[in-house]
Amino acid sequence: MDFLDSIRGMSFFDMHVHMISRTTDDYQAMADAGVVAVIEPAFWMGQPRTGVDSFRDYFATLVGWERFRASQFGIRHYCTIGLNSKEANQEALAEQVMDILPLFIYKEGVVGIGEIGFDDQTPAEEKYYRAQLELAREASLPVQIHTPHRDKKQGTSRSMDIAIEHGLAPGMVIVDHNNEETVREVLDRGFWAGFTIYPFTKMGNERMVEIVKQYGPERIMINSAADWGISDPLAVPKTAALMKQHGISDEAIRLVTFENAVTAFAQSGQLSLDDLTQPLTIDQSQRFNGSSVLRGGQAPRVDKESTIIR
Amino acid sequence: MNSLQLSQTLFYLIEQQPDSAAAVNYLRQQVDAFHTSPQKSAFYRVFTALPRFVGKQPLTVPADMAFALQQARPGFTVSGWTRDRLARVWWLLQLPADEQSTYVSTITELFKAGELNELVALYSALPVLAYPEAWRFQATEGIRNNIADVQSAIMLHNPYPADYLDEAAWNQLILKAFFTDKDVTQIIGLNERKNARLAQTLADYAAERRAAGRSLPPHIERLM
Repeated sequence: MDFLDSIRGMSFFDMHVHMISRTTDDYQAMADAGVVAVIEPAFWMGQPRTGVDSFRDYFATLVGWERFRASQFGIRHYCTIGLNSKEANQEALAEQVMDILPLFIYKEGVVGIGEIGFDDQTPAEEKYYRAQLELAREASLPVQIHTPHRDKKQGTSRSMDIAIEHGLAPGMVIVDHNNEETVREVLDRGFWAGFTIYPFTKMGNERMVEIVKQYGPERIMINSAADWGISDPLAVPKTAALMKQHGISDEAIRLVTFENAVTAFAQSGQLSLDDLTQPLTIDQSQRFNGSSVLRGGQAPRVDKESTIIR
Repeated sequence: MNSLQLSQTLFYLIEQQPDSAAAVNYLRQQVDAFHTSPQKSAFYRVFTALPRFVGKQPLTVPADMAFALQQARPGFTVSGWTRDRLARVWWLLQLPADEQSTYVSTITELFKAGELNELVALYSALPVLAYPEAWRFQATEGIRNNIADVQSAIMLHNPYPADYLDEAAWNQLILKAFFTDKDVTQIIGLNERKNARLAQTLADYAAERRAAGRSLPPHIERLM
């Protein structure tokens, strides 16, 4: 792969990716492309959950098995925990989820409350968004905001208004899924601006290059938001390569693809630049509750060049 | 709406399908048994297992039958449906509706456990279920669904949303329809429920599409 050569030696932090939906091939490819850390925000599963136990197990997976799985490829896995906007609409269940959130948000490696905010912009979504902003303020955790796909511009403004109303400093809030129409207001108001490079629906990376040229690298960060949809877990390194090709400086690329996200989420006290620059030793024979990512007889590192699968 | 008349018309339509004798026989047996002993487990079993007894072929709907359905429930249509979808909606009409909380909770369980085709049938049934105002939230969950066929079942050729959704929920339906590339001309009530807030949101959406160098979805200008 050609693009890998141009970014060899660079480190990337994908600050929004749903690894629970991805395979070990993805982890391997990400590690090979220089991704050293990820944040997995709690989201929905593509369909609504029907009971609080499903949420409990999901949150436990994010701080448990998924973190372990990532570590087996040398990737540090952090997460943000929260009740997503779509499922906030099932109010009876949402109440139960709110009750278990304090069990998870103070855990090690939980770097924020997220992804929360608006989807349809219903009163129920607003209610639980506000309640979780309060939770974030109490816990002094950053907030990762999902801005809506539909009615995006107004939804983004409103999300920021409400965060301010609840006394959150803009510097503690990462507003995600920005585009050309929202970025100016987000930056002008002092919030962090996340951009999701996701084919067809969100940002393309050529557009992203233009945004970095126009606005500079301050308080901007990019992610793949790769999930169960058609998405690309290599979106961050690929965009770095494209920025390099278009003459954006290495320092600016580093800010947008790594350091800004570290600075923003380090405010949780749960990650630091020092942590991320230490190599993580990979031992795929390690176990988590007795389980390994290896199955009987597997070699710890699969040789992708071979057509033979043993 | 006349539920009994509607139920009879739907059953008659099943009888009219070619080679449907075994299916009709099965449905008669099940409904007789259910009327004698209305067990929830039997209600669920029949609803779920229906396709293996009635088949999944596309329906043939004669014009007089389509007209009769329109008379029984304005806006309601079964054109383009399959046999299992029709039979499931018919089966839902066999649930006693004398007690609201039992009725609603029984059907809500079906929604919670539903797979794709069951959800399609359930959302198609909203305009003919009892206690129509009790399904408003469920209808918004259908719009929120990520599966194209399920979205279509609530959004397209379905009179329930225009009749019962408030303005915010209606506007979400329209926006989601544009976002998911639906043919919005198939939405019942598209023109009747135009509103200023929707026009503003769609104008913002159009601006965002242009900024991204993307084309506008067809018919969006009709609502702006």
